[in-house]
Amino acid sequence: MNNPIPSKISVDAALNALDKRREDQVVVSTMTVMKPWREQFESDRDLFCVGFMGGASTFGLGVQLARPDVPVWIFDGDGSLAMQLGSLLTIANAAPRKFLHIVFHNGIYATSGAQPVLAEGRMSFAEMAKGAGYAEAVRFDDIESFELALDDLLEVEGPVFIELLTEPTGESFKSPNNVPVVHPEGERALPSALASRWPIVNESLQK
Amino acid sequence: MIYAESIPAEPFLNAIQSVGFTDVVAVPDTHQRSLIDILSKHETPRFIQAATEDEAIAIAAGLIVGGRIPLVQIQHAGLYASVNHLRGIAEDGRFPMVLLIGLLSRDAELLPHEHGGSMVRLAQPLLDTFDIPHYLMEKEDDLNFIELAYQSALEREGPVALLVGVATS
Repeated sequence: MNNPIPSKISVDAALNALDKRREDQVVVSTMTVMKPWREQFESDRDLFCVGFMGGASTFGLGVQLARPDVPVWIFDGDGSLAMQLGSLLTIANAAPRKFLHIVFHNGIYATSGAQPVLAEGRMSFAEMAKGAGYAEAVRFDDIESFELALDDLLEVEGPVFIELLTEPTGESFKSPNNVPVVHPEGERALPSALASRWPIVNESLQK
Repeated sequence: MIYAESIPAEPFLNAIQSVGFTDVVAVPDTHQRSLIDILSKHETPRFIQAATEDEAIAIAAGLIVGGRIPLVQIQHAGLYASVNHLRGIAEDGRFPMVLLIGLLSRDAELLPHEHGGSMVRLAQPLLDTFDIPHYLMEKEDDLNFIELAYQSALEREGPVALLVGVATS
């Protein structure tokens, strides 16, 4: 098993830096970074992705292609991006101009027991994004450098990719100890949180 | 008995345009090659290419959030590859989304369920498993299924599939 690479950025510090610069952006978040972002900074332009790992970035790409005037930020996970690496090519090909894709690289599958992300310590998501054709792709392992560069990066015509080497956070996933719900035959499953969430963002984008 | 005949690309495009689709999100499909060719040469609907079918579904959902009307164009093998996004985004997220799915290697003298090979035979049962309504497009007259599928997607607030019986021409 590879050791996680040293990292210095706390997720909270990174999220605070981003929130300070947030205006009208649609933010699509997923994985361990989603919970702290939601608890502290939720707005009517937030989309949260649960249950379809790897889908956050292309979900956000769709929003950006629909509304090129509205910047879109993606807060992705490392394990999540690893599940859909082809999405780097799809995004680079579509060339969304106001698109910031941040991967929070903590080196582990945090919720399932801290298994290492594959090739941890040897691979670089920023290099992959650069090779895929993103307009800009950079990697940070300290908050000071990230904050110093962030304002300029937000001015770069996208798609822009930022890899943040972050401290591992997040609790192991616990299966809810609830009474099992029996799904009535012939009835449709209850809508997901996403089903009630996206119309809020849709409405916000029409204002 | 011949069950299916090729649908020409030009009227196919006209039917797609008349429904009002703003975007086609596609992963290249040999079966729908002529339709992809003509779509990629027109400005409306906008043609967006994805690397995987999962991504196509996610992009289409994002387009809907932003107020657009996307059509997802994939192959049956891509349907099999994309089922978690189909479930987790399109179905559970209740996105009114139409999927155009090519049945590559469909024998026009057999109904899909009569095929020995799993690629053609399992597409409809898979959609049934996910409770996703589907229409089989077997001839040019079936182009009106495109409008029906879109209205059905709006009504049920979820995905509806159109299966392209034999290769477009």
